[in-house]
Amino acid sequence: MTQVINRRTLLAGVAGVGLAGAVAADAGAQAAVKGGKPLRVALLNDIVNFDPHQFSSQNASIMRNLYDTLIEYDDAGKPIPALASSFAIAPDNLSCTVVLRAGVTFHSGAPLTSADLDATLKKANDPKTGKNVYPTMGVVKDWTVVDPKTVRLNFKAKVPDRQVTDLLQFMFVIAADTTDSAETKVNGTGPFTVAERVLGQRMRLVANPKYWRAKQPVLSEVIYTIFSDDDSAAAALESKAVDMIFGGGARAAVRLRNAGYHLWQGQGQLVQVFRINTNMGPFRNEKFRQAFNYLLDRAAILRVGYAGLGEVTALPWAPASPAADRSYDKTYAFDLKKGEALLKASGLSPAEMNDWKLLASGSSQDAVAISQIVQGTLKKVGIDIQLEIKQGSEYVDALLGGKFSATFGGVGNVQKFPTRITTNSIYRTVNNPVLGNPNPHKAYVAAIARVESAFGTADVKAAYAALNKALVESAFGIATNTYDVFLTVAAKNVGGFTKDLDSLLVLRTLGFTS
Amino acid sequence: MSGSWQRTRAAAWRVLAHPGALISVAYLAVTICVSLTAQWLLPIDPLYQDLASTLEPPGATYWFGTDELGRDILARVIYGARTSLLTAGGAVVIAAAIGVPIGLIAGYFGGWRDTILMRIVDVLLALPGILFAMALIAVLGRSQAAALVAVGITGIPSFARITRAQVLSLRQRDFVLAVEALGGTAAYNMFRTVLPNAWSPILVQVVILSSVAILLEAALAFLGVGIPPPTPSWGEMLRTGKSYLYEAPTYAILPGLALTLTILSLDTLGRTLATVLEDRREVVEDEAQ
Repeated sequence: MTQVINRRTLLAGVAGVGLAGAVAADAGAQAAVKGGKPLRVALLNDIVNFDPHQFSSQNASIMRNLYDTLIEYDDAGKPIPALASSFAIAPDNLSCTVVLRAGVTFHSGAPLTSADLDATLKKANDPKTGKNVYPTMGVVKDWTVVDPKTVRLNFKAKVPDRQVTDLLQFMFVIAADTTDSAETKVNGTGPFTVAERVLGQRMRLVANPKYWRAKQPVLSEVIYTIFSDDDSAAAALESKAVDMIFGGGARAAVRLRNAGYHLWQGQGQLVQVFRINTNMGPFRNEKFRQAFNYLLDRAAILRVGYAGLGEVTALPWAPASPAADRSYDKTYAFDLKKGEALLKASGLSPAEMNDWKLLASGSSQDAVAISQIVQGTLKKVGIDIQLEIKQGSEYVDALLGGKFSATFGGVGNVQKFPTRITTNSIYRTVNNPVLGNPNPHKAYVAAIARVESAFGTADVKAAYAALNKALVESAFGIATNTYDVFLTVAAKNVGGFTKDLDSLLVLRTLGFTS
Repeated sequence: MSGSWQRTRAAAWRVLAHPGALISVAYLAVTICVSLTAQWLLPIDPLYQDLASTLEPPGATYWFGTDELGRDILARVIYGARTSLLTAGGAVVIAAAIGVPIGLIAGYFGGWRDTILMRIVDVLLALPGILFAMALIAVLGRSQAAALVAVGITGIPSFARITRAQVLSLRQRDFVLAVEALGGTAAYNMFRTVLPNAWSPILVQVVILSSVAILLEAALAFLGVGIPPPTPSWGEMLRTGKSYLYEAPTYAILPGLALTLTILSLDTLGRTLATVLEDRREVVEDEAQ
């Protein structure tokens, strides 16, 4: 039996889980479901392209179905093998050796070899082609093809275990001969292949008959249909024109859940963050910023903006994040009196406190609503501000270019290794487009560096605690709630859902219960 | 003067003699009065958020329920009327203040002045009103003033063309030529002799443009480029309310109803005015002959 070979305590436990565990879990999911007819899935957006390294929300419906990654995480966050039958992190944390699974073939029929992983790594390591995987490759110095089934990744410095497994979990392997054309050609090892695509309308996937996981996929065919809005997709589900909606809005999802449909949430939640430009107006004042830790009515924001689907959080972490600490939610709960005390302690005059506007995206009704909640709350403590509503690219330009005083914006990658948060513009430690260079929040920058170099349970725990403290004290990003961008609502007879750390749609275990 | 007043009063009675016009005038009068006295009639802050009572159904506390932020829907519809009427009134003033003089000058002098002014008007007329308003708001930013100016500018061509047409028909009439022969200046002749005799279709246009302006303001708000929240606006309420049709149907239905009735009333009044004033002109012309 293939096992995960690992010398470290964290991953040693994985050996027990290994492939057997993964297969057992999958088998359990399959036991109650069967194929036999196509699964009809409603999408709210067509895919951008087929490149699995372009992790856009539109591509979340296909990535895990056309391709596989080196490892996956189970429900508890433990790594389980996938295309890598095993991997070993060196005792000095300076390298990781990956052994590829035998018997895996691409859709073209060619076997999976080290040459494919080598080509995939080259693509991922190039800023032009690596897309969303490129930042994850930042820790990799180079790699060595040891033999046709073994590749060793060499790191620039000691890399924490979780950061290594995040890299392996995010590495979708593409056949060597299609890495240059991955946007238009599909040649993965995934459970499905593309049989038909009509741009902007529909796509049909058929099962890969040589898929390496036993008895998977359950379904022989999946049909995606693109809908222009949430309501029409919901109506299609209710009228049995589709079996499932992927990526719909929270309000429709709650309504359908209340009507008896399955509502499935992944682990890859985003966190809504009140982003503050600390170079602007009263936000230069730290006490004024810290007041917002108490002045945001997180429960109302979650209820109004996301129909209550998610959790309030005072820290920018999804529940699956190793740095998540729920005690902060109580310490920094909505409290106007505490907020007012900090406003008073800031020493700013009422005119100075009112000297800013809250930027909101006009194309997001929910963003406008939650901005109005903040506007209404601030009025209660004597701060009277206006909303500055911008549309589309004008808003994105202001958001990413730091042309705002404060605004709401979701942050991603917050379910993975904590330093991945620095891929979000407001949390960048260097070349921060909002806060400038060098980053003015030295305690935060130091805390991130400490997390990157922490080893051993106690050190890691202390590093996460220091980072969380720095985040609320520097207060340039005030987290309010988690939310899902990949909600799945399905008919009652659809079952076999598999959780994914990134909330990607996993079709291979899905089927019908009746 | 006395005869003119009597004829105007008689025309007003003829308008009110039409049942549709009478109902329209009554509805508009009530709408205007309620919106202007809302703070005394219904002392509820349309911006006040009761976040513990969001999307409440109609009941004793909130007669028409609450929106997604717990704001009173009835209060927001009433204050939304103020927004719509203010935008319509301002837009009509802007359109008339610019359009009428353009039409007057073009029609009175003719020649190159007419050609240049009317080609400018043609350019304005060629631009779809809503697109032009959206472009203007993109430049000016979202505000009530921007919406008012944008809607007002789109109304200029209609005033200019109607005024010009009236002036062209009056320009060669004996009473106008007589004033000119007696040494009356062009400005005196235009504003004291021609314009008072051209006001009937302009008045009709005022009423019609008011309904167009309200509709355009609502359309801009519905498209997300109107007056920014939290200012109550019928179009904005429709835009947001359509997302809550299952949870709170009154959220979209009430502003939609108010918008429909207001536009219907203005259109009915405008059509009746046009009919009555046309009849009155024929009577006056018959008397002159």
